[in-house]
Amino acid sequence: MTLSRRNFVVGCSAAIAALTGGAVRGLAFAQPGDTTHRDILVVVFLRGGCDGLSLVAPVNDPFYRGARGDLRVEESGQNAGLRFGNPIPGADFRLHPRATPLLSLYINRSLAIVHACGLRNGTRSHFEAMDYMEGGIPESGVPANGWLARYLNGINASGYLPAVSASARIPFSMTGFNDAAALTDPGAFNLSWNSWRYRSQLDQALDSFYSGDSPVQRAGRTTLTTIARINERLPRDSQGRVIPYTPENGAVYPGGRGASLGSALRTVAGLIKMDVGLIAATVDYGGWDTHEGQSWIFPELVAGLSEALYAFYNDLWRYHHRLTIVVMSEFGRRLKANRSSGTDHGHGNVMLALGEGIRGGKMYGVWPGLATEQLDNGVDLAITTDYRAVLSEILVKRGGHQAVDQVFPGFSGSPLGLAYAPGETIERPQRVNLPLVTR
Amino acid sequence: MTFSRRRFLGAGATLAGARMSGVPTQVTPSTLPPIELIALNRIAYGPRPGDIGRVQGMGFAAYVDEQLNPNDADDALCNQKIAEARLRIQYNAGMGYPAVDEMRPLRTIVENWSLTQLWSLSKNPAYQERIRPVEEVRAATLLRAVYSKWQLREVLVEFWHNHFNVDAYSDSRISATWTLYDRDVIRRHCLGNFRSMVRDVAKSIAMGFYLDNAFSRDGPANENYARELFELHTLGQENYLNHLYNRWRDVPGALEGNPVGYIDQDVYEAARAFTGWTIAHGQTVSGNIRLPDTGEFAYVDLWHDNAQKRVLAFEIDPNQPPLSDGETVIRLVSEHPGTARHICRKLCRRLLADDPPDSLVNALASVWLTHKNAPDQIARTVRALLLSDEFANTFGSKVKRPFEVIVSFLRATNADVTPNSGLFWQLQEMGYRMFNWGPPTGHPEESAAWLSTNGMLRRWNIINQLQSTWLKAATFDLPGQTPAGLTSRQIVEFWIARLLAIAPPPSTINRLVDLMRQNGSADAPPTGSAEEMTDRIRSVVTLIAMTPEFQLR
Repeated sequence: MTLSRRNFVVGCSAAIAALTGGAVRGLAFAQPGDTTHRDILVVVFLRGGCDGLSLVAPVNDPFYRGARGDLRVEESGQNAGLRFGNPIPGADFRLHPRATPLLSLYINRSLAIVHACGLRNGTRSHFEAMDYMEGGIPESGVPANGWLARYLNGINASGYLPAVSASARIPFSMTGFNDAAALTDPGAFNLSWNSWRYRSQLDQALDSFYSGDSPVQRAGRTTLTTIARINERLPRDSQGRVIPYTPENGAVYPGGRGASLGSALRTVAGLIKMDVGLIAATVDYGGWDTHEGQSWIFPELVAGLSEALYAFYNDLWRYHHRLTIVVMSEFGRRLKANRSSGTDHGHGNVMLALGEGIRGGKMYGVWPGLATEQLDNGVDLAITTDYRAVLSEILVKRGGHQAVDQVFPGFSGSPLGLAYAPGETIERPQRVNLPLVTR
Repeated sequence: MTFSRRRFLGAGATLAGARMSGVPTQVTPSTLPPIELIALNRIAYGPRPGDIGRVQGMGFAAYVDEQLNPNDADDALCNQKIAEARLRIQYNAGMGYPAVDEMRPLRTIVENWSLTQLWSLSKNPAYQERIRPVEEVRAATLLRAVYSKWQLREVLVEFWHNHFNVDAYSDSRISATWTLYDRDVIRRHCLGNFRSMVRDVAKSIAMGFYLDNAFSRDGPANENYARELFELHTLGQENYLNHLYNRWRDVPGALEGNPVGYIDQDVYEAARAFTGWTIAHGQTVSGNIRLPDTGEFAYVDLWHDNAQKRVLAFEIDPNQPPLSDGETVIRLVSEHPGTARHICRKLCRRLLADDPPDSLVNALASVWLTHKNAPDQIARTVRALLLSDEFANTFGSKVKRPFEVIVSFLRATNADVTPNSGLFWQLQEMGYRMFNWGPPTGHPEESAAWLSTNGMLRRWNIINQLQSTWLKAATFDLPGQTPAGLTSRQIVEFWIARLLAIAPPPSTINRLVDLMRQNGSADAPPTGSAEEMTDRIRSVVTLIAMTPEFQLR
């Protein structure tokens, strides 16, 4: 079998090239402030380096089979990967067996897969790779702010709560956008004074402390604003009590390994439905650094990822036309397993894009092959698609950002054609009530 | 002096601001607090009543030297608090074990539990028993931070725990033996020799399981520990040159035996050097040969890759004696000049500012390298830092992390602290996961990382929660500590002096006085019912701890 370089995608790239002039950089759709075509962008970051070769596995590749041993996704039997139909003759890519919900989203043409994707820099350091990726640059010299911050600043993102990190802190990708809010539970985002007697005086005094321009004061001001805005929009009953959030459309957010991701996505879903003007949200999902014991940790992580994305997407069925979700990780893992049932830091990886504005049900990118001479440094999956190609296309077509070179300085790659531009007819069989495909 | 101070703060604001939206710059030379307050906020967790006078009395330099030579016997209050502490342990009956609900002493600490005792705990069927040692160390860490006389040691223990971060809850073998990692590795070496510290970290149960080296064996090795040894523990990301060079000989200085940094080839080779370094936990070596199930460090020659290696341009010959390859790597990385700069910069970032001047970092690195074989290498370096002009001439360039917010409030208010799991839960919600930080980086150091909306709201709320009726992690007597007969303004000034190192603006003081006096005069004692007086004093103290000024150190 020859798995040499082949282009995954046939068909749409010519149309996109005609539309864009072959490069993302010159595109202009919407003016700043125009939200007509602007999606809500949710970025899920798999911290630790997700093993893309197990998430979307080339199960019949002899080099994969030879190098992975017991850790591989198999062609048949109990641990067989899920067939999803992909366009490389001879190759047999499969989704991980625990990714059934992702298969549903793929069959529904909502989910696109990009393989052999990532940060072209050769670093195998988590922290450096995350800094470069979240900074939106390929090389050393970490910029002042993150790519999402530059996007949000570039479109003059305003509104009630344009940017939220559903965690305790703001990730680097959003650092530099002053109105970014970090919060985990909108229903509890309030001051908890002990004194009822002096409550209004306390509120006024605290407000007055945070009117200056030092970083602490600015942070306090953003916090006070966020408290006010959330509490204005929180659904309440006739007695003024906060109504607990209930997912729609039968969505069930997962427990287990996926509980943290599920809970963060649930927070984002609640905010979206409060119509706070959310434009970008970030969600972290950690635990992917599987140097050891990968065979029992990884399936649980994949199940959590799949179930959480599936629940989130179904929960937000009313917002599908405005929703784009990107899943990324700082790097993939070494092709060859180590001797402690794990994999070490690698290079190329998988990215996922999900949304009604995504041409899903397709796999994108160029497969470089896994023979030693095809690998990066002879050991890792090579990168044929810059991660910025995926992000920039989404920002241009879904985010209405006209100057991608400001978000990704120096980047001028071609779009993959994975997103629908505004005005294009979206072909998709169904929108709501995604059936959970069973094998 | 004024010039250097301004320039330093200015540079900090520019550089850190570029990356993380700025460090606080409210403090100007004219409002720089006295050295006692700078020190007590930086090398202590804030002043307790009486501390300022004590440091003034003995002088700052003498205080530094005292703090660099801690003596456990001379810590009566702290020792008593730890001996008296009771931490609840509660779980339901399970497979073969009964339910437990009791207030239990910090036994593994107070009774100095041995490895044998702790290792057997790692096999206890009840999860709460397996994590009990780390829960006890958490409680003791809080008590020591609040009550120990040896504050600098506590500050450095926190620093080194973060530097050699291990998520103690990630593995029962780690959580059950956490008392040893805290006492025999981190505390033992926190002022000592860095190479010895790296060596003992490398051989610890905690690091062995956390970064997987306990499972590493030849063909191919597990790289996790070796990579973080370079990137986090020693040379640091700033000396990782993999994006520039693919071959070891291309790294500048390599051919002369002094490479300026490291690349992946060094990581691969170092990982090979540590193959066979493991923790005996009953694993099979080969055939019927098993290691004992004791938790002791072990070297398994059969798993070791004994061929030649090259690390940082240093050639290691094949077939070296047991442990020699790994020990050589530890020496090479610990004594590298890049490590000296990386660690010294990190110490400055903890104790001084997010972006310390290179001149100071280089001066400290020189002290560090000069004393690389000294048993008090770290103490000598820290001393040079604390006695530098930069230390005396900066304040407010760091934002307190959540643990510092809590402890400095408890210290300033002379609270009676009773650690409980609820407090550590609140701390976690603030983003500070003591001994439970997942990635090997440890908690972020940059001030801006702690200024998210979530972080701000929770640092305000924790001051209220600490005094609430439900958290029960501390009790306060604020009215009782307020001297009798003071005017409303004097009461506010009394508590500002207790809590803040720098004066807040007049508008803040007026707000506080207005709250204290209500309808009365600022310059007369406040009037009202006893309940109202208590409420007002508590509210004023709470508000002071919610000011921007309280967040700085």
